[in-house]
Amino acid sequence: MSRFELSGAAVDTTGQRDRLRHPASGGYCAFEGWVRNSNEGREVDGLSYEAYAELAIAEGERIVAEAIERYGVTDARCVHRTCDLKIGDMAVWVGASAPHRDEAFRACRYIIDEIKHRLPIWKKEHYVTGESDWVACTHVYREHEHEDHHAHHQHAQTQPFVPDYSRQTRLRDVGEAGQAKLAASRVLVIGAGGLGCPVISYLAGAGIGTLGIVDGDRLDASNLHRQTMYNASDIGQYKAELASRRVAALNPTVNVRIWKELLTAANAVEVFGQFDLVVECTDDMRSRYLSSDAAVVSGTPLILASIYQYEGQLQFVAAQPGTPCMRCLWPQEPAPEAVGSCTLSGVLGPVPGVLGAMQATEALKYLLGLPQPNAGALSLVNLIDLSIQHLPIDAANGCVAHGGCVAVARRALARAVDEEAIDLAFDRLDDAVAAGFRLVDVRNAEEWASDPMPVVAALQVPSAQVMERAGEFADGRYLLVCASGRRSGHAARLLRDESMQNVYSLAGGLNALRVAG
Amino acid sequence: MTVVNLQYYAQLREQAGTSSEQFTTGASSLRDLYEELRVARGFSLAADALKVAVNAQFSAWDRPLRDGDTIVFIPPVAGG
Repeated sequence: MSRFELSGAAVDTTGQRDRLRHPASGGYCAFEGWVRNSNEGREVDGLSYEAYAELAIAEGERIVAEAIERYGVTDARCVHRTCDLKIGDMAVWVGASAPHRDEAFRACRYIIDEIKHRLPIWKKEHYVTGESDWVACTHVYREHEHEDHHAHHQHAQTQPFVPDYSRQTRLRDVGEAGQAKLAASRVLVIGAGGLGCPVISYLAGAGIGTLGIVDGDRLDASNLHRQTMYNASDIGQYKAELASRRVAALNPTVNVRIWKELLTAANAVEVFGQFDLVVECTDDMRSRYLSSDAAVVSGTPLILASIYQYEGQLQFVAAQPGTPCMRCLWPQEPAPEAVGSCTLSGVLGPVPGVLGAMQATEALKYLLGLPQPNAGALSLVNLIDLSIQHLPIDAANGCVAHGGCVAVARRALARAVDEEAIDLAFDRLDDAVAAGFRLVDVRNAEEWASDPMPVVAALQVPSAQVMERAGEFADGRYLLVCASGRRSGHAARLLRDESMQNVYSLAGGLNALRVAG
Repeated sequence: MTVVNLQYYAQLREQAGTSSEQFTTGASSLRDLYEELRVARGFSLAADALKVAVNAQFSAWDRPLRDGDTIVFIPPVAGG
């Protein structure tokens, strides 16, 4: 049943409201837009709406569906008037019902903002002077989640925003020609965390045409000391959505596309092909290898960075014949226990900030065609003694011995596609048990004690001992579980390599369960 | 005996408790030197998990040591 209507007649608000009634809904929220008697200082005595009906209905349906998905409301509907309206007439009606009021308010707000922004509807204002004028209903500025802002702030933004890039175009190497290059550029940022925050902010500020943002995580309180785009009130929301809102607030002229889950071996090459440059900002070794492989196969340059406590590493992968990829340096993915993480090893907040700012600088240099003298090196950044050491990577000593970067990457991607069937998502561990899985807690003994699993595991085997105790996984199907899904995923892959096809890993680990619950 | 300058990054820096040190060794190759350090400094990572650079160039593990070499051991890191 359609949830969006264009109507030539007055809106039946009671009928609309009744269609939103649902036993699961604890409340309902509606917004009505009325024709007012003035616009931008001119007195208005009525207006006419004209719509490109086919497109408006399709887009309206899409907007309502997005709001339902985005805020998890039970149902939502919208009616937009066409034809002639007088002062006080209802021009648009939006309603949403939800278990809780917060989602209903948010969904309503989202729908009306997107309707005004995206729908191909034009209004002709009739002024009391007898004149009339067509006014576009679209406007560039839109930022969702206005709860944090004061009302007067919104009024300041009724004029379309015109960016001012003078401080960078003044650079001789940038100029208007460089700015045009940036505006025509499409950059994919994978990971909107400690590294991603400066990358996304600086690229948005610089006027990149299209920014893609990939992040499957929701904001956690422990992120805030280093992830500077977010607010305490954002906790629990998807970082990709928060980041896209931040970009809309910072520079509304930037187009944003978001992915709320990590790319997969099956889609990464295709997605990379839609961008001119990729910046890898995750804290996930698998994502790094996937990015390197997809960059090489698609011929898309990639800027890698990673951090550890007070230091970081940076590598530019040109993805051109004769230049080194990440596998030229590190051929195989190391065990998660070997590489450390912000969670286990700790990190000082500004460290990813520095490395992310360096990635953003490299990105702009590449897009502007500026020299990158250390592009083929691994740069070691030490923020204890403030040193940077560049170690040139010799492509001749890398993947060449195994058929070259492209062949190596293709093989790795093909293997990864098979492996993706290893990572299984469950909302609750009880669901996994009900599906016949035996749970194996592969965290270490301290974690077992400090943070017990919500469901008692059939086995407790620390990830580092999984191989020597492989014999314990004999009958039935086993679901390995750790905090984030990384250690369990790696262990499951090692067991699969030993032809144990009955071993799986809980995608996202216990952290993902907590968010879902 | 050979006197070399060592630099440590990431986990190795943490386990050694220092970013750099001068070290006198009887080892003849980088691999032997690292095995000696694993015992002396308690490094948990195997040499195969690391990269090694000598005098600002990546190097093979069988390279012989010379007096005054500056040697950097680099583990992969994943934070972000």
